[in-house]
Amino acid sequence: MPLSVKHDYPSAADETLVQWAQRGDTEAFEELVHRHRDKIYARALMMMRNDDQALEFSQEAWVKAWQRLVQFQGDSSFATWVTRIVINLCLDQLRRQKRVRTESIEAMDEESGGVERHLPVPESNPTAGLEQDELRRRIDEALGKLTDAHRTVVVLHEFEGLEYKEIAKRVGISIGTVMSRLFYARRRLAFLLQSLKRERSE
Amino acid sequence: MKTNEQLIDLQAYVDGELSDEKRRRVEAALPADIDARELVEGLRRLSGLLRDHEPKAAVPWSREFYWSQIRRRIDADAAGSQATSAPAHAASTASASSALGWLRWLIPALGVATVAVVVSTRSTGPAHREFAVAAGGDDITMADVSSTVFRSESDGVTVHWIQ
Repeated sequence: MPLSVKHDYPSAADETLVQWAQRGDTEAFEELVHRHRDKIYARALMMMRNDDQALEFSQEAWVKAWQRLVQFQGDSSFATWVTRIVINLCLDQLRRQKRVRTESIEAMDEESGGVERHLPVPESNPTAGLEQDELRRRIDEALGKLTDAHRTVVVLHEFEGLEYKEIAKRVGISIGTVMSRLFYARRRLAFLLQSLKRERSE
Repeated sequence: MKTNEQLIDLQAYVDGELSDEKRRRVEAALPADIDARELVEGLRRLSGLLRDHEPKAAVPWSREFYWSQIRRRIDADAAGSQATSAPAHAASTASASSALGWLRWLIPALGVATVAVVVSTRSTGPAHREFAVAAGGDDITMADVSSTVFRSESDGVTVHWIQ
């Protein structure tokens, strides 16, 4: 009678868990979910700025990852692959939302940079003296004050490390628009972080 | 005061997205351009700041509950895929039934047509009588030979042949 092999899931590398999961091992997949769920959720939350949507899209991303697992060839890390799935889900939702509010001021301003056009260039060290956790929180707050369009290019460029061309392709805009959105988003962020610094010193 | 195009070129320089020619031009101009140098420095620091302090967040549910939600969706999707193939099977069955329905009507009709053709091509007499009996029907020959009626119980039809 053959002995059934019980895998040591917590000790296995991602690559090994992926191989097991590709053969239908749901326990291996559950371990992958456990390891990377916070990162996937955090990315969704950063893009959507909404807890419910972040939970919804992060779960949806895992379901899609399971369904498409055979397509994963290991060209990137597994976490990067799932992150791209959740980003695509968020981008689809943002496009749908944008269609609903095409007449908004935000939509009219996003190409020109709106008020950010008049902001100063980033100063060298806008957040000197802040503690690490406090800094993270302040950066998150500042990101939350950007428009969806501006925040999206910042997330894709700064946190996902995508080049202009790749961002343009994913978001469905020209490279020129990527460059202008990124510039105005950075100016706005620098301005917001400077404001926080001023609040702190007062 | 720099134009938007100049500012965006400086950003592209920081991001490593300039062509070689433009990059050389920017690098040649930077030593004498304090504003440009400050902008480049500011953009680099901001990028570093963001990348080093990426906001974090944790799923507000337990491992078990979060996974159970995902597992439920995976199972529901799998069941859904099976359900979508079931209606397709049902549709093909319905289509087959529909075809059989037509056949149910077509077969007797063909039988009637065959009988009608045979009746029309044969004259009255023994051969006619034989066929009618073989077909399981009653053959009634009128004495005045002007009319023949064929009725088939199995096909549920009656044929009048008038000469």
